[in-house]
Amino acid sequence: MIDAPNVQAPDPVAPDPIAVTPGRSRVSPPWWFALPAMVLFAFVVLVPSARGVHYAFTDWDGLDPNYAFIGLRNFTDMTSDPDAMQAIWHTLLIAVAITIIQNGFGLLLALGVNTIIKSRNVLRVFLFAPAVVTPIVTAYLWRNLLGPEGAVNSLLGAVGLDSWRQNWLGDPELALWSIVAVIVWQFGGYSMVIFLAGLQSVPKEIYEAAAIDGGGRVRRFWSVTRPLLAPAFTINLMLSIIGGIKLFDQVYALTGGGPGHATDTISTLIYKDAFTLGEFGYSIALAVVLTIIVAVASTGQYFFLARNERAAS
Amino acid sequence: MNIRIPSAVLAALTAATVLTGCSGGPDAESGDSKVLTLASVDQGSIEDVVKAFEAANPGVKVNFTTGGADQYQQQIRTQLASGTAPDVMSVWPGNGNPGATYVLAKPGYLLDLSSQPWASKLPAGVKGVTQYDGKTYNAVFGLNGIGAIYNQEALSKAGLTAPTTWTELLAFCKAAAAKGTPAFALGNQDNWVTQIALYALVATTVYSADKDFDTKMQAGQATFANSEWRTAMAKYIEMEKTGCFQANGLGTSYEASQDLAATGKTLGIIQGNWVVALLKGKNPAGTFVLKALPATDDPAKFFIPGAAGAGYGVNAKAKNKELALKFISYIMSPEGMSVFNKKQGSLPALPNTGYTIDPSLAEVAKFINDGRTVPFMDQLWPNAKVQQTMLSGLQEIFSGQSTPDKVLAAMDTNYKAGA
Repeated sequence: MIDAPNVQAPDPVAPDPIAVTPGRSRVSPPWWFALPAMVLFAFVVLVPSARGVHYAFTDWDGLDPNYAFIGLRNFTDMTSDPDAMQAIWHTLLIAVAITIIQNGFGLLLALGVNTIIKSRNVLRVFLFAPAVVTPIVTAYLWRNLLGPEGAVNSLLGAVGLDSWRQNWLGDPELALWSIVAVIVWQFGGYSMVIFLAGLQSVPKEIYEAAAIDGGGRVRRFWSVTRPLLAPAFTINLMLSIIGGIKLFDQVYALTGGGPGHATDTISTLIYKDAFTLGEFGYSIALAVVLTIIVAVASTGQYFFLARNERAAS
Repeated sequence: MNIRIPSAVLAALTAATVLTGCSGGPDAESGDSKVLTLASVDQGSIEDVVKAFEAANPGVKVNFTTGGADQYQQQIRTQLASGTAPDVMSVWPGNGNPGATYVLAKPGYLLDLSSQPWASKLPAGVKGVTQYDGKTYNAVFGLNGIGAIYNQEALSKAGLTAPTTWTELLAFCKAAAAKGTPAFALGNQDNWVTQIALYALVATTVYSADKDFDTKMQAGQATFANSEWRTAMAKYIEMEKTGCFQANGLGTSYEASQDLAATGKTLGIIQGNWVVALLKGKNPAGTFVLKALPATDDPAKFFIPGAAGAGYGVNAKAKNKELALKFISYIMSPEGMSVFNKKQGSLPALPNTGYTIDPSLAEVAKFINDGRTVPFMDQLWPNAKVQQTMLSGLQEIFSGQSTPDKVLAAMDTNYKAGA
């Protein structure tokens, strides 16, 4: 993923060259300006996290002050736990699916409302509206809408599509995709807004020049819009992949990880193992694995996209 | 904008939020002899009990918090482990969940209540699950039963009567389905619901013939896979195949299943008595009656799952032990017990409280008086994993991802893993 020749040598002081907009001064503030924030961060976040991590190597049940160090057993147990393996697979599947579908959808919406159609401002508000509602609320709404006698099935029945009626959340083959659909519905507008901001920063002259050069719609999108949207892509993909990997609220509210374990993600499993089964050590070990996955995915993706951004500009 | 640092921060933040969890803020106030701290899961009923207790003890103030079971268990365990737990807290009977009597009494977090006058008066079927190592730790005030709850109006509209044997039950299901109103609503999307109908069948198929089944399980002389549990599981599936439940039970939530039964879209629901109040909330004009679910053709040998609900324990390190015991005495008194049970739609745990039982629960009361009840099965299991395996296993069976034999074998494995 990391392509060495294209990556600037890390310099803790100098700002990243790609991030500096032309014309802005390159004066960098002294590092100790960040000290108060870093101290606070260390005490509120880093220290407790590190103290939490040590429980991953114990058999603590979350209650009994007497617990034993068991080395890496929680981690080796994980490899033979079909529920954990399945949850890791679901997590990756959901993250990839959301990243692709939500951003594809968001980009199409952005291109749509970036035109000169009359209702574009109203549309923007409507499309963004779901993103401001708490995920747990939309999840409970959709849980009712997607029920066997819910609005979705009733609507399909009413327009004569009876054969399309499904047990959306109760069918193990379908439930995971229903969850993905709900999330895309809610956050597609969020991706749209970020793409829209990118689109509006593209100068009209470039399009005009491209049009004069004989570039059609598709060509203009590919050669002008796409490269200039690269920063928006970076942010959107990063946010959706991290959001996808951490996914908890929507899954828990929509299916509770069921039927069976058909939609369990690492986060729902962490919750169940810790708070239902009292296996804190094991569930913290799972959390450590989740952290590693998020860290690897986000840094890897960042370097990859940053390189693309540079290649595009 | 530099995105590099935020990405590292985001990753770290993610880790932090996942790893650190929550630590509930305790409201432990020490020193004041007139203040009692209390944490409860009895949302909707504890409020009235607290009000009545404060009225009966002028000058006393109860600081209480309430929460759903999951949230409460997480909170109370954190508080107990860090020495900030309230004086009185909800405790579940028996074993098998993170807030159960065994689990909390074993590390010494609960005060021994054996010398309280009510401790010796608890019925035999209840006493066991309030104790750990022969000592009483849990003030259980209410009893619950599981059975088939019928919507009487829907029943008479369909021209059917409640079945009294297994054979009648299957015929009843077929007749009900043929009329377009299936017999029972099933809300198996919420995984705890999956066990209810199974427990109703297990009570008769397993315990009617073998009251010592749990003792044998504990001694390693019996297994789920080679017991009448298999029969019960097979009957549950036969009920599903016969059309006893509405379509798509796995996509139906507990809430949605109540709607079906309350409005007569199904003729009833297999649930605990606690659902009666909820059904009446959705259909105030309805009449709902709980009957034993027939599991064999011999009604004289029917058992129902009848068990102690969550009760209250006293923190071994209570700041205000005297007041805590006073509160416990109050909830175990006829007045306290009546307030609780009336609100919760349950039955008082102690006999002779002068409490008039709701007519819909007459059959539960009869089974309790006849000693034909068994505790909810999980209350006697050695760990919480057996039940969780059963719950997700049942969802997997109903969605074709697993088989009864596999699920029972997995339950045996988890049972043998012990505490």
